[in-house]
Amino acid sequence: MRDVAVVSFAQAPLEQPPGQTEAMMLLPVITEALEQARLDRRDIGFTCSGSADYLTGGAFTFVQMLEAAGAWPPIPESHVEMDGAWALYEAWVRIQHGDIDTALVYASGRADPEALREILCLQLDPYYLLPLWPDYRTMAALQAQAVLAATGRTEADLAAIAVRSRADAKANPNAVVAGDFSAETLLADDYVVAPLRPHDLPAIAHGAAAVVLAADEKARELSARPAWITGIDHRVDPQYPGVRDLATSPSARHAGEQAGVGKGPVEAAELAATSTAEELVLIDALGLDGDVAISPSGGGLVANPVMVTGLVRIGEAFRQVNAHGRARVVAHASSGPCLQQNLVCVLEDR
Amino acid sequence: MAGEPVQFMSQMVSIEYPAPEPTLVSRHFGEQLAAGRIVGHQCPRCGKVYVPPRGYCPVCVVPTTDADEVEVADRGTVTTFSVITPIQYQGQEETDDYVLATILLDGADMTVGQQRLDGIPIDDVHSGMRVEAVWAPEAERKGAAGPGPAGGLGGAVTGWRPTGEPDAPLDQYDEHIL
Repeated sequence: MRDVAVVSFAQAPLEQPPGQTEAMMLLPVITEALEQARLDRRDIGFTCSGSADYLTGGAFTFVQMLEAAGAWPPIPESHVEMDGAWALYEAWVRIQHGDIDTALVYASGRADPEALREILCLQLDPYYLLPLWPDYRTMAALQAQAVLAATGRTEADLAAIAVRSRADAKANPNAVVAGDFSAETLLADDYVVAPLRPHDLPAIAHGAAAVVLAADEKARELSARPAWITGIDHRVDPQYPGVRDLATSPSARHAGEQAGVGKGPVEAAELAATSTAEELVLIDALGLDGDVAISPSGGGLVANPVMVTGLVRIGEAFRQVNAHGRARVVAHASSGPCLQQNLVCVLEDR
Repeated sequence: MAGEPVQFMSQMVSIEYPAPEPTLVSRHFGEQLAAGRIVGHQCPRCGKVYVPPRGYCPVCVVPTTDADEVEVADRGTVTTFSVITPIQYQGQEETDDYVLATILLDGADMTVGQQRLDGIPIDDVHSGMRVEAVWAPEAERKGAAGPGPAGGLGGAVTGWRPTGEPDAPLDQYDEHIL
């Protein structure tokens, strides 16, 4: 196996000028990630992107986004109809082939929170579940109910997660919600879908992000402190949530084991939990103990740019190593209802 | 029939999306079309002129802005074309064969596609033909203006007609077939 590291990360600012296409949002982000690594677009060996055409309902929207990467003269590239974290996985595999040393990974998404309630139903099975049109908040509530019943945790425990995430997010310029909140105040809100209140669910946002990967000595050349990917894996639970125990996530557990999360001390973990209850499931599945700083950026709860959130977790984990001097950080991405698919990545300083 | 096992079920799925907000660049382009002007963005690096403007040059990958705006002619050269034979289906408004052409406007480096060609027998249409825009009456341009999903010139230009000029030589447009 070749040693591959994240050498740069850039994210679109939360405040975007009005009337922008995704390509217009992505262009400066990709430029920034490349400039951090002191690379030109033509130096990149492979480009891989993540997005979902269903979000805006435009077939082949992702092709136009390639113009932000620069595809002339023609470049080797690929796209996943998933969160950009899976595009990063493909780029990591591509670098393992040995003939290229660098890859650009980017993700973008423009999601209307109301439209998303219908759109995400299309990932459910078409026979039994889709006809009921259970929106993502309903699915999250089913899981939260299962978690509370199985663990004896309470709605106050969930609120405490939101309080911590929002306080941590004060240092994150890309958080939609950030600040000091009291659990009592949050718990006074009405349910969105019991047992979930507004603070238990993610703040949906538009977003774009880019990461540059490099191998071996190339990574050392491009970054003073690369974050080495010492393990990366992704797994899938059954598609039908009715056959799963929603209080657990076997796929996250497997991915964590395969990525080697438990092989050394973990200082921080950036989790793409998109409900407070999901965070409890993930902490258990990944075996993270009380010493681990959970989602120092605020995680997926304080800003959920759909299709970008997972790649941002890897980018935030890179920052924890690169800028904050942490030695070993876990990043997590998820897709599907109730943590159905999970990707886990371990980043280390060396 | 009662007691028969279910073999087929129909599950109609539809999603309604909010209409995408036009970008500032495309909105400005539409306003200019309504005023009878076709504008593009000239890349500050390579000098290529994009019509309609995109807000960036995809070759140099640099942003372009209003400061890079240039006006191009409402005449140009047919680079390629298709003859469409309409099949009758509900909602079909066409009855006779017609031509959609790709046109390289004078002063532009990008073609505009799917442009209706009128005023000439179909058998006489050919690449290299010089054509000029047929504008909708000014009162009808507003609202119809703005590029459609495939780019182009929206409803402000209803079609194109031959100018009668000599054909453009191939080397003036052979890099711009599509």
